[in-house]
Amino acid sequence: MMADFDPASLSKTALFALADTLIVYASEPGGKPDMPYVLLDSAGRIFGFNGHVDLGTGIRTALAQIIAEELDVAPGAVAVILGDTARTPDQGATIASETIQKSAVPLRSAAAQARRYLMERAAAALAAPMGSLTAADGVFSTAAHNRTISYAELLIGVQARLPLDPTTPTKDPSAYRIVGGSTQRVDIPSKATGELIYVHDMRIPDMLHGRVVRPPYAGVDAGDFVGASLLSVDEASIASIPGVVAVVVIGDFVGVVAEREEQAVAAAKALKIEWRYTGALPDLKDLAATLPGHPSAPRVVHDVGDVEAARAGAATLLDRTYVWPYQMHASIGPSCALADYREDRVRIWSGTQNPHPLRNDLALLLDLPADRIDIVRMEAAGCYGRNCADDVAADAALLSRAVNAPVRVQLSREQEHLWEPKGTGQLMQARGALDADGAPIAYDYSSWYPSNGAPTLALLLTGRIPAIPEVWEMGDRTSVAPYDYPNQRVTIHDMAPIVRASWLRGVSALPSSFAHESWIDEAAAMAGVDPVEYRLRFLTDARGVAVIQATAERAGWTAHTRPQTLEASPDAFHGRGFAYALYVHGKFPGSAAAWAAWVAEVEVNRKTGEVKVTKVTVGHDAGLMINPAGVQHQIHGNVIQATSRALMEQVTFDSAGTAVSEWGGYPIITFPDIPKIDVLMLPRPDQPPLGAGESASVPSAAAIANALYDATGVRFREPPFTPEKVRAALQAAGLLTGPPTATAAPKRRRELWSKLVQIATGLAALMVTVSPWSPAIAPRAGPRPGLYSEATLERGRVLAAVGDCAVCHTVPGHAVNSGGLALETPFGVVFSTNLTPDPETGIGAWSYDAFRRAMRHGVSRDGHRLYPAFPYTAFAKVSDDDMEALYGYLMAQKPIRSAPPRSQLAFPFSVRPLMAGWNALFHRPSPWTDDPRRSADWNRGGYLVEGLGHCAACHSPRNLMGAERKGRDHLGGGVVDGWDAPALTSLSRSPAPWRADDFYAYLRNGYAPHHGAAAGPMAPVVDEMRALPDEDIRAIATYLASFGDQAVTVDRQRATVAQLEGKAQALAPLIQTPGASLYRGACAACHDANVADPFAIQLSLATSGGVHAAKPDNMIRVILDGANGELARLHGAMPGFRDSLSDAQISELMRYARRRFASDQPAWTDLDATISRVRKASSPQGRH
Amino acid sequence: MHEPGETEVAFTVNGAPARIRASGATPLIYVLRNDLGLNGPKFGCGLGECGACSVLVDGKIARSCVVALSGVAGREVTTLEGLGTRRQPGIVQTAFIEEQAAQCGYCLNGMIVTAHALLSRAPDATEMQIAQGMRHNLCRCGAHVEIMRAIERAGKAMRRGEE
Repeated sequence: MMADFDPASLSKTALFALADTLIVYASEPGGKPDMPYVLLDSAGRIFGFNGHVDLGTGIRTALAQIIAEELDVAPGAVAVILGDTARTPDQGATIASETIQKSAVPLRSAAAQARRYLMERAAAALAAPMGSLTAADGVFSTAAHNRTISYAELLIGVQARLPLDPTTPTKDPSAYRIVGGSTQRVDIPSKATGELIYVHDMRIPDMLHGRVVRPPYAGVDAGDFVGASLLSVDEASIASIPGVVAVVVIGDFVGVVAEREEQAVAAAKALKIEWRYTGALPDLKDLAATLPGHPSAPRVVHDVGDVEAARAGAATLLDRTYVWPYQMHASIGPSCALADYREDRVRIWSGTQNPHPLRNDLALLLDLPADRIDIVRMEAAGCYGRNCADDVAADAALLSRAVNAPVRVQLSREQEHLWEPKGTGQLMQARGALDADGAPIAYDYSSWYPSNGAPTLALLLTGRIPAIPEVWEMGDRTSVAPYDYPNQRVTIHDMAPIVRASWLRGVSALPSSFAHESWIDEAAAMAGVDPVEYRLRFLTDARGVAVIQATAERAGWTAHTRPQTLEASPDAFHGRGFAYALYVHGKFPGSAAAWAAWVAEVEVNRKTGEVKVTKVTVGHDAGLMINPAGVQHQIHGNVIQATSRALMEQVTFDSAGTAVSEWGGYPIITFPDIPKIDVLMLPRPDQPPLGAGESASVPSAAAIANALYDATGVRFREPPFTPEKVRAALQAAGLLTGPPTATAAPKRRRELWSKLVQIATGLAALMVTVSPWSPAIAPRAGPRPGLYSEATLERGRVLAAVGDCAVCHTVPGHAVNSGGLALETPFGVVFSTNLTPDPETGIGAWSYDAFRRAMRHGVSRDGHRLYPAFPYTAFAKVSDDDMEALYGYLMAQKPIRSAPPRSQLAFPFSVRPLMAGWNALFHRPSPWTDDPRRSADWNRGGYLVEGLGHCAACHSPRNLMGAERKGRDHLGGGVVDGWDAPALTSLSRSPAPWRADDFYAYLRNGYAPHHGAAAGPMAPVVDEMRALPDEDIRAIATYLASFGDQAVTVDRQRATVAQLEGKAQALAPLIQTPGASLYRGACAACHDANVADPFAIQLSLATSGGVHAAKPDNMIRVILDGANGELARLHGAMPGFRDSLSDAQISELMRYARRRFASDQPAWTDLDATISRVRKASSPQGRH
Repeated sequence: MHEPGETEVAFTVNGAPARIRASGATPLIYVLRNDLGLNGPKFGCGLGECGACSVLVDGKIARSCVVALSGVAGREVTTLEGLGTRRQPGIVQTAFIEEQAAQCGYCLNGMIVTAHALLSRAPDATEMQIAQGMRHNLCRCGAHVEIMRAIERAGKAMRRGEE
């Protein structure tokens, strides 16, 4: 009887104990059974086990095909279990696309061995000779098909355990029916419908959520500061965040655990930590200068002939230097893991590429024997080498151990970008020589390669292992040029990493091939020979020759000996380039993977320097292809990713560490820029299968660089080929047809507050002449409950909303109206008071008279003068009825005991009685009077705007004494809390004019289509105004619109907007700066109008007030801390980029936005200084 | 707005009513994944840049990492799961499976949901319009060719369905 079991959840011991099964297993050196390779059971199920993992390349499907082939079953009948440490063989790390090439071999033998075993039993059972049996779909039949028996039946009552016999004969490839045929991937249906398959989606009962906080040495893993930079952690800084379970600190490892994921995110963001690190990186902007200066040891790996002698006798020397930038794996999903640590055992669900090596790391980190650690491998985001999957598994293990509960940890986008082990930068030098016929006679190639294995981060951060950089000899992949140069020397300068680095697709082979293939292209040009023809002259590898010829023919290559033979226009050059590589990977001399050749076709924009790869023809010989459709898919991926790397990808660093932490700063290729791809797969069914994971990417950058040369006659030796770089080269070569880069002349700004102190002091004398004293009003109990009707209290509630009481009188996260919010004024910080009816700390002892006096005259109950940060100058206009309703409402609130700090202002404002003088000068305590010539609507609006609404408090400029300026300046724009409060009148600088409908939309929804969204201090005002009825919002809109141009029609407004949009659209292709690529990556998803229009938000910056404003402050603030107004609730918030973009990046971005979207406005002056000041002055959470 | 702590928000998810008690500021993605156990929306950047967390709100694309829970009160949210199941995949899902339009597949949720929104509005979108409409959904593996084919195939299937 067959037990129902799931081998994916059984340990090795349990698997071996199963009845009615056949297992072919790997033997340990002593012959002891290790892990199974294949398992068949009496239910007809077939399982394959492999220590490698599927990284999105379809390995699972290909391995199932191999097993199915040997066993004569359908591929769908085989389930493949990958990478679990408890039940799969240790086959090392999944690297260099060698799963098919190497680890599939024992699997194939194991399947063949299982088949032979079954066939022997079938022969006995059917009493027929083995030679007469055939197998199909898991059933043996005799020649006459009159007797059959299934694999399942053969296993009843059997417990067969066979050590792998690697000499078992396997099928002849000519008999393959499954391998070599295209098979659908088994994982895609789950992925397309949201079934559980990714580690990110693994959830278990009682699971908590963890987040880590990384040190400031972002992406640097060697140096004495690593693991030793933490000074202090202020746990009180997250006391107000609910749900926090633990803060875990071990050395420089810091993590938080919370009940809910968003709580963990918030806690990790808010946790105040002091570090003592100030930066330790050398300048990585100029790798050609920096890398040779880094300690290294030369290693000559190849030396034939005598390069120096050949150079001495050469007709021409051809010495070239090539630089490869640091690049990222840039996994689309930040790494994630779930750990369940209890009773000295830990089970970890992980997306690791290296389950067995990771287990050893965790044993060291946790001080546990390896057999108490169980790693369950699940699918994860593609990683193309190494991402942070191992790191986050260790993070989760530490956090789970600390709280004794399962903890899921996912890294932030920023952490993944900053800390992933980068694909390292590389410097390549080719000292070559040609003879008189132009033939290459010497090639002296050197490469500087700083990389290592990037130890699991937690080991370093906790101090478990020392942060001593280790030198790994990985700079030698494909370092020998594939051509028959009679004299060739290859020297690798092995060096320790400078930043955390590890292998990235094509390891050192892609950069080395870039050098080899760029160099030979130059040699061909010097020799006056067609570059394809030239390569073929010096290549003897027959399969290489075949790939080159087939690829050139497929692409319709026409021989040419000089650049710029293709048709050009004043706008664009066209070119095509060739490159070839045989990817040699593994420890030197390594083994060859697939052969590949590229013909790249490019279009170069002569105005902007923008490069578009329009078509790639790629030829590929990977031997026998297990799943040709899978190989083709994989080649597409390689072409696209490699094109992205060659055109746009480069990691930048500052002195602290990695300086790019999101997709704006590290852009990758997107749909409109994908080249047409023509894949030519050479059929080689008689040759062993070769890794197809990355070979096709190796010729990429050289082919594109050679195409750029063909298009422009200029050689490009340092990817990425960004518009900036290409434009500069075109300009230098006199080929640019666009305008040279222009910068607007800065204008000087008048500093308003500089003379403040002198003038203020002078006025102090005047102020003191007015009677400064007001009597206290005796404390008394508030109104008895029931004094005010429900209707009155409701009216009071609405009035409190009109007055935005809560906006200033509430600290976010604290009780409403309990005061204590710090309001920054030019004169110092004013703290709002407690407006709840607490008798001691609030207004509980205030009579209505005291309240009314404060509202109309700015005098507190005890007689002291209030500062006009409290807008009594406006509140004076409130009617008595409304005043009393408001009083009733406030007194009916729940009393909260809370004593806010005392305001501290500079002299003369520190002397409160002087405010009497201020009042005499600037305060007119007269109530609002209707203007009979105006509509009732207008008058209602005026009453609300000028009275309780106190719009002018923020939107009017203030004089040097802090009083609102009147007349033409009334509502003419002010400053609040460091934000520009724009003019609401004809003084508005808004690019599109405001109509009453716009005011209404903005105040009602927090968003007006041509004006943008309420942000900063205005966002909570709009929130409060939700309490107002529509008629009041309409009235306010009518009143405000009366200050503007009455002649503005919808049509005129539409025309203005269309003109602004058109201008910005026209400028888009012409501005190709780093700011443009930041905008595309970080902003455009929401801010760019879209042809097919699938997005909810289309907030064009062409009509944004912030981009057009005289001062950059508002835009800086919105970029830093986002906008979360009413619009956010409807369409999604503008997220804050404080932790994602540096000051320098924000500056680039804003310069771009100003140039493109507000082209009629002058460039902002002092932008960099302003960004730095605003970042320091504003708090991450925003004021309101 | 200023009350600390939780609020209760009622909305519809894949056609079924949902009531969630949490801070109103909670990004929708965490509610969908953790409170409602949905796997479709994936956390990719938290900044609205990459599209991996895309969902439909009232039929329009939204990036659930930047939509607050309070914002979907009374509204209709559709996730990848709402477009079909493994047994009965939706038109776009079927096309993605048939074209094998994924490598690692982490971006697949955003690709399918965005394509669904795009084709619902314009089933006859041209290749260039599709590329433009999808340009803010990032894929790192380079599955773009197969994804484009899948969307074109789904467009055809939708047009057939309309006839």
